[in-house]
Amino acid sequence: MTALREAAVGRRLPLIDGIEKVSGRAAYTADLPARALVGRILRSPYAHAELLEVDVAAARSLPGVVAVITGADCDKPFGVLPISMNEYPLARERVRYCGEPVAAVAALDDETAARALALIRLRVRELPAYFSAEAARAPGAVLLHDNNSGNVLREVHDEFGDVAAGFAAADLVREARYRCAEVAHGQMEPHAALAEYDGERQRLTLYSVTQVPYYLHLMLARCLGLEESQIRVVKPFVGGGFGARVEPLNFEIVAALLARAACGTVRLNLTREETFLTHRGRPETDIRIKLGMTRQGRLTAASCDVVQRGGAYAGYGIVTILYAGSLLHGIYDIPAVKYDGCRVYTNTPPCGAMRGHGSVDARYAFECLLDTMAAELGLDPFAVRRANLLAVPTQTANGIIVNSYGLPECLDRVESASGWQARKGRLPPGRGLGMACSHYVSGAGKPIHRTGEPHAVVELRLDFDGGITILTGAADIGQGSSTILVQAVAEILGVDIGRLRVVATDSAVTPKDNGSYSSRVTFMVGNAAIDAARQLRDILFAAAARRFETRPDWIECIGERFRVRGAEGSGLAFREVAAAALAQGGSITVKGTFTVPVEYQGGKHRGGAVGSTMALSYAAQVVEVEVDADTGMVRVEKVWVAHDCGRAINPLAVEGQVQGSVWMGMAQALGEETRYEGGLPLHASLLGYPIPTIVESPPIEVHIVECLDPNGPFGAKEASEGSLAGFLPAVTNAVAEAVGLRMTELPITPDRILEALARRQRDSRIAAARGAAS
Amino acid sequence: MSLLPSFELIRAASLAEVAAARRLHADCRLLAGGTDLIANLRHGLGGPAALVDITGLPGMQEIAAEPAGIRIGAGVTLSRLADDPLIRRHFPALAEAAATVAGPTHRASATLGGNLCLDTRCVFYNQSDWWRQSNDFCLKYRGTVCHVAPTGNRCHAAYSGDTAPVLLVLGAQAELGDADGTRRIALNELFREDGAAHLALGAEEMLLSVRLPIEPRLAAGYEKARLRGAIDFPLAGVAVSLRRRDGALDGLRIALTGTNSRPLLLSGCEALIGGPCDAEALRQISKLVQKQVSPMRTTIVPAHYRRRVAAALACRLAARLFSSPATA
Repeated sequence: MTALREAAVGRRLPLIDGIEKVSGRAAYTADLPARALVGRILRSPYAHAELLEVDVAAARSLPGVVAVITGADCDKPFGVLPISMNEYPLARERVRYCGEPVAAVAALDDETAARALALIRLRVRELPAYFSAEAARAPGAVLLHDNNSGNVLREVHDEFGDVAAGFAAADLVREARYRCAEVAHGQMEPHAALAEYDGERQRLTLYSVTQVPYYLHLMLARCLGLEESQIRVVKPFVGGGFGARVEPLNFEIVAALLARAACGTVRLNLTREETFLTHRGRPETDIRIKLGMTRQGRLTAASCDVVQRGGAYAGYGIVTILYAGSLLHGIYDIPAVKYDGCRVYTNTPPCGAMRGHGSVDARYAFECLLDTMAAELGLDPFAVRRANLLAVPTQTANGIIVNSYGLPECLDRVESASGWQARKGRLPPGRGLGMACSHYVSGAGKPIHRTGEPHAVVELRLDFDGGITILTGAADIGQGSSTILVQAVAEILGVDIGRLRVVATDSAVTPKDNGSYSSRVTFMVGNAAIDAARQLRDILFAAAARRFETRPDWIECIGERFRVRGAEGSGLAFREVAAAALAQGGSITVKGTFTVPVEYQGGKHRGGAVGSTMALSYAAQVVEVEVDADTGMVRVEKVWVAHDCGRAINPLAVEGQVQGSVWMGMAQALGEETRYEGGLPLHASLLGYPIPTIVESPPIEVHIVECLDPNGPFGAKEASEGSLAGFLPAVTNAVAEAVGLRMTELPITPDRILEALARRQRDSRIAAARGAAS
Repeated sequence: MSLLPSFELIRAASLAEVAAARRLHADCRLLAGGTDLIANLRHGLGGPAALVDITGLPGMQEIAAEPAGIRIGAGVTLSRLADDPLIRRHFPALAEAAATVAGPTHRASATLGGNLCLDTRCVFYNQSDWWRQSNDFCLKYRGTVCHVAPTGNRCHAAYSGDTAPVLLVLGAQAELGDADGTRRIALNELFREDGAAHLALGAEEMLLSVRLPIEPRLAAGYEKARLRGAIDFPLAGVAVSLRRRDGALDGLRIALTGTNSRPLLLSGCEALIGGPCDAEALRQISKLVQKQVSPMRTTIVPAHYRRRVAAALACRLAARLFSSPATA
């Protein structure tokens, strides 16, 4: 007989670090105990100015001040992309946005640090500042950066297929313009860093809130002129990222520079306002989109023009503007796609990556126009999507290989769960149903740095105690990646979850990982974990085989009992087999790796690496709203969402991530928006930036669709981002049914609804008057 | 939030002690729940040498039935106001309004007096010290220009207390006191249309309590427009009280918050008394509201929305109350 086997994969396992978080025991960066100096940053009050002098003499001589640093202390620009590093930890020669760090102090206490900041004098020559992409691109505008024309960081022009022929073949061609406001991540934990500098040995240890400890490590070495070996980067518990921390950030490098200048330990806790000023959110985006369609709803061509207001520095900007174009592909079968993108420098905080990086606003525009055209042709929104499904396996025009495609099932699931066919078009006034689809990558196929190293490495360690330690550089930022690794390893080894321990993100101990971005960790690090676990299993099976005097491939391990397949008896316990394995040579360390094969690293065209991935996730959702025509308030009554994440390694975690994505989409669609007044943020607090509360949070019914991908770990794909983008058009389409208005600007705030209703009333009055007159 | 400045905390047991503390520290501030004051101090809005805790003054925590109505001490917390049986029985609208303020943890310490005397708010004022300094400060604090209306000569910061409109339509009186004694005024007289000095209190005066008359068959309610159903201050808040006699309006009062530098008791409602609360009456109400409110660019949400929504909520609330059983 065989023991009943409790599979680790597919289990609704609560996150392994959940207890620490909900009980308040988890130590985040700001909680780490340290006898530290207080760090504070002086920020520019100017949106754009030449920095003539930063006079820190008075601050330096204030008793209790240990160090004061300025741009003079670091002349190495940093940035996550090697091709566009143009930001200094502290501004040099020029400040380009209000809030840009100019100087920093380390002092014995908060009061002294504050007094020191007040003593620093700036002498500047103000320059014209540009707060919109249009103003920054206008002829004659002062350039924010040298070696740059028209304040454009990057233009993209791609055409796949014959777009003109596609539009000519269409029965209906429509073009529309959509605008999306800039939004911020609003992660719960404000930015913080703790830097320790050992002056005798010239070694730096930095604890930070980062999603990308490795990229941070590289930039610390660069900006401080140290060798990587002199640096240790540790990521403690992190309270959310959503992309805010997927690039090295100025305050992290400033903390390190301060610690070195003070030759000690410096704590730099940013306020919520400073966290907003550091930004890296989704850019304000202006989209013109044109689609061609046959009477049957078949798409013939698409062209899309995207302008992003990128903020003052490059950051991830090139990637963002490329993503917006590359992910027009991979969801529907479109014969011809043209994309023109433009990323613009402006005097606002730098934008960056945010959940659904680059794809969200373009997807919103696409799905809105698709819905509008379907209505014009009298086609059901589901039917229009079904008319354009991909046949997989396939390779998209821009070179993305698609092996698994659960979109058809996602459509079926939400159509039936929401009662769409029975209810659509039959709701009372003010109510509406809308739907849309979206997709996202499972890890960027091509890494940012060409090192030749594997894309992911996981080590497993087994020693005399019988515990197995998973060593990973992957940053669990609340998304649950450490839990997923535990489940993957337990599944392969057949051991209890409790036998596994995760040690993560300490560069002194754990193998390098590229970081938590582009939904890469489950896919890539998960595959590396499987590789490592198989190697450890081989060692254990070999040891068991020796004990049983049989061949290793005849061994099985179920519920921590090792047996010869088909044999009777209780077999050997895990500890016995582990002891036998350890007897061969002491503690055991194995290393698993994963590398994305070159054919999955993107098309050959310029920028083809962006959007490249081994698998795409798919999602469809239906949103039901009620619109109050008196107040303009849109209330989301319910959301039905189906997400194809391949194998749900942890369905509980998948549901949480999908709900989080939908909810974040709701926040962007209905309320969140950054606003600047002369470059100063009006919104930089949790009161000014209206992240929804539980009162606005609808029931979100998650349907997991498991369309297994042949390359995913156990068939798994992305689960944490793909459902976001669909909410924006789905709610917009629902509002269209509720009040008959097709909104083209996000967020759909109450004032925009009332304004649109009033405009419609005015227009119909004018039309009526004209009719009466004629 | 930045660092809270140092201050001396004085716990006053009598009005005389409050007066003494105020004489000792010219810039001292009165502290009750602190939910508004402390957040502002952290933003560098003021740096008083002393805070005078007034929650221990006699009668501050009482809700007491009196022959002509109910007296509510200024130190009664909003959560208690929302739950108190006496308040809920006689003035459910006040309980409703109290329950709309901020979040549960705020209401647990925020007080009625604090909500009534709430500092006015503005996007150019409720910002960090760095922010305001970068913007050359503003007329309300340390500056010379009101960024909302740079050519004007007064501060336009908006009054945002949620309880004032309900108290106004219920005919509340305010009891003020200083070391020399106490006096009562109509609550409406406590406020001035000046964002930088919106409270008409004497130099050493403070709000001690609010008195509400019990009026039979008077129905009242409060509606609050805001982006989020929790936390947010009102973009516009409307309270209405009315009676209905033989299918006609008998008594109608409307007050608003969030739209002006003071809570606004709407004038001209008398004209509607005696008539039905029909579509025409609602049109009149809408007109009265839109004419008298003057929302300015003090919030991120545009002012014209606040004007519109204030009128819409006033009409909706009046119609609802008119058809409610309590009025019949």
